[in-house]
Amino acid sequence: MDLLLPHIVNGLTLGLLFAMIALGFTLIVGVMEIINLAHGSLFALGAYFAMAWIGGDWFGASEFGIWWASLPVGMRYASALIFGPLCAAAAGMVLELCVRRTYGKAPLYGLLLTFGAALVIEELIRISWGTGEQSLTVPQLINGAFLAGGMIFSKYKFFAAGFAALSIVCVWLFLEKTPYGAIIKAGSHDSEMVRALGYDLSRLRLLVFGLGAALAGLAGVVMAPIWGLRPHIGVDVIIPAFLIIVLGGVGSFWGAVIAAALVGLAVGITGAYAPAWSMLSMYLLLIAVVTFRARGLMGRKSALEN
Amino acid sequence: MSNSKITRRGLLGGAAVGGVATFAGPWKHNRVWAQSTDKPIRIGITSDASGQYANSGASDRRGMLMAIEEANARGGALGRKIEFMHIDTETTPATGSRVAERLISREECGFLIGAVSSGVANAVSQVAQRYGVIYMNTNSSSPTESGQNCHRVKFVWDGNGTNFSKAAVRNAISTYGEKVVLLTNDYVWGHDTAKSTRALVDQHGGTVVEEILIPQGTRDFSAALLKIQQINPDIVAAAVGGDDQIAMRQQVAQLGMGSKPAWINNQQDWPDVYGLPLDNLFGVFGTTWYYGLDLPGVKEFVDRYQAMYPDTSMRVPGNVFYNGYMATRELLNAIERADSTNNIAVIKQLEGHVMSAEERMQHHVAVIDPNTHQVQQTIYLATANDEPRDENDMFRILTQSDPNDVRDEGSLEACKLESYEDTPAFDA
Repeated sequence: MDLLLPHIVNGLTLGLLFAMIALGFTLIVGVMEIINLAHGSLFALGAYFAMAWIGGDWFGASEFGIWWASLPVGMRYASALIFGPLCAAAAGMVLELCVRRTYGKAPLYGLLLTFGAALVIEELIRISWGTGEQSLTVPQLINGAFLAGGMIFSKYKFFAAGFAALSIVCVWLFLEKTPYGAIIKAGSHDSEMVRALGYDLSRLRLLVFGLGAALAGLAGVVMAPIWGLRPHIGVDVIIPAFLIIVLGGVGSFWGAVIAAALVGLAVGITGAYAPAWSMLSMYLLLIAVVTFRARGLMGRKSALEN
Repeated sequence: MSNSKITRRGLLGGAAVGGVATFAGPWKHNRVWAQSTDKPIRIGITSDASGQYANSGASDRRGMLMAIEEANARGGALGRKIEFMHIDTETTPATGSRVAERLISREECGFLIGAVSSGVANAVSQVAQRYGVIYMNTNSSSPTESGQNCHRVKFVWDGNGTNFSKAAVRNAISTYGEKVVLLTNDYVWGHDTAKSTRALVDQHGGTVVEEILIPQGTRDFSAALLKIQQINPDIVAAAVGGDDQIAMRQQVAQLGMGSKPAWINNQQDWPDVYGLPLDNLFGVFGTTWYYGLDLPGVKEFVDRYQAMYPDTSMRVPGNVFYNGYMATRELLNAIERADSTNNIAVIKQLEGHVMSAEERMQHHVAVIDPNTHQVQQTIYLATANDEPRDENDMFRILTQSDPNDVRDEGSLEACKLESYEDTPAFDA
């Protein structure tokens, strides 16, 4: 058990990070019933903008740039946690303005459009920041490792998991306790009824897409120091995100969180004891669940089960 | 005196018979172009532009293009211009096969160049052998590429896992201890490199206490690193490549595990680590070339690179670029020496070809082994440079090994090249 415990802790930490990635994805799928294949690219975009922000790339050797570079890394990193998601949100909203032409049409149109957007964003990243590996600087305080029970853990990974947990709670509170949250939830159940009640459906969709993209961008900023940054990092993200929302039940907030924790545990534990199966374990988990429960862990009952 | 007269009808008939005989005769030619033509020599580039080795693939390609541009500036090869066609092999063997097939049969490429992934290189070489098209495997380094998967048409330019292990394992065991954990990327290059390392560890009195497999595409190494910490080995021998390796390096550095245990990374491709912080460059690793080598020609080579690629984020050429450049240059030289683009003639020029240390910008003479088609060359061991001259100067070269000291005998035993007769003739 002593040997297993660190891997359980590691798996749950990983699960929280996966949940953070999947939340924005599930929000957009839930409200707009669009699978946003550009979600991973928005994740990458948030991370790259944060990296440029922390490094002061745009300010160069100007007076402001010199002053900016003299600020403590912690301050620049903290502000990047806002700046990165804001940029991703802006990109997400632009994407929604394009995607809205596909509402009411066959789902394939939305899929194709978001897939195309993913390719465009990846190329823009390549053009702007090059193809090479980049790293995102983090404050010394949360860098390095600590020992617990004789085992070594990454400080930053625990910080990231804590931050992910906090973000999950904030999003949940927003959805549960605010009028906007209530409208979003209503929109995910019956968007036409929301429109009939006099709410501007277009604005709601724009807001949700922006929020989903901001969450993707935030996950990107938090994950970048762990995974590193490369233009196609979005591809690494989109598959687990998609798998998690299907496993949890499409549109279910807590379903996504629980599914992410399970995926994290599966990957973490198999990574230690059967590493060749660690990537495969998440797919096996999905197959096992949907075989017996097609709607996913907490999904709504569908025609498949009638 | 004959009164025969060449008529227009006779001339056309003769030409028709000649044409049919040329293309339908008992020869095994896949395609015949007239010699002394001004038709360009077309090279198919099979490097990855996406997937795990996209970054290295781009560097590989830049090396080839510089060699092609230099050749064209000299008037091409055999007076023919060199053209190229690139299709992304996506770091996927199945795509590699399709790309090779298309480059040969539809794009009329007479030579293929490029690989980083050994799985892709193997797939490409099988198609190339079927057509008899010469294929330069520039940068993939599984021992199987010049061992059991060798082919008469394929030439391997990078050092392989065994070469790098031979250079590193004995020193590591005598310096750090005998308890070794293998960290192995779960595909052909990782497995074959780990197999070589295991044999060398046994040979030098070490013990492999665990082998941890790392599936391709792994981004979180925590489980493996916790396991390593539980085992507490003296040495970790890692055969993890591409993006996986980058993620691994960042996470090892974050945990402060870079100095203990000792890390041997069989090979280190420059594009994988370029721009990473110093503490990410832990361990000892192998390479075939470094721009900081104090050898004749290196500075000029770097200058030419910088003139051709002024906007590339990598400001100096790395080992992947070097291999891409050398393979292309030597192919074009071989065509010139053969005075032909006939595949068998060019293959014979490449087999056993000796390259001086000066032209290779290495410490020892290199030779293309005629039995395995792998370039036997100087292998360097390097580590992080804690006193860099500038931001590019990331490596410190520790040792250099004579090619004969790090020869992969296993490849020599495993490689069974097809005979010349069993290799279809091909003329570009």
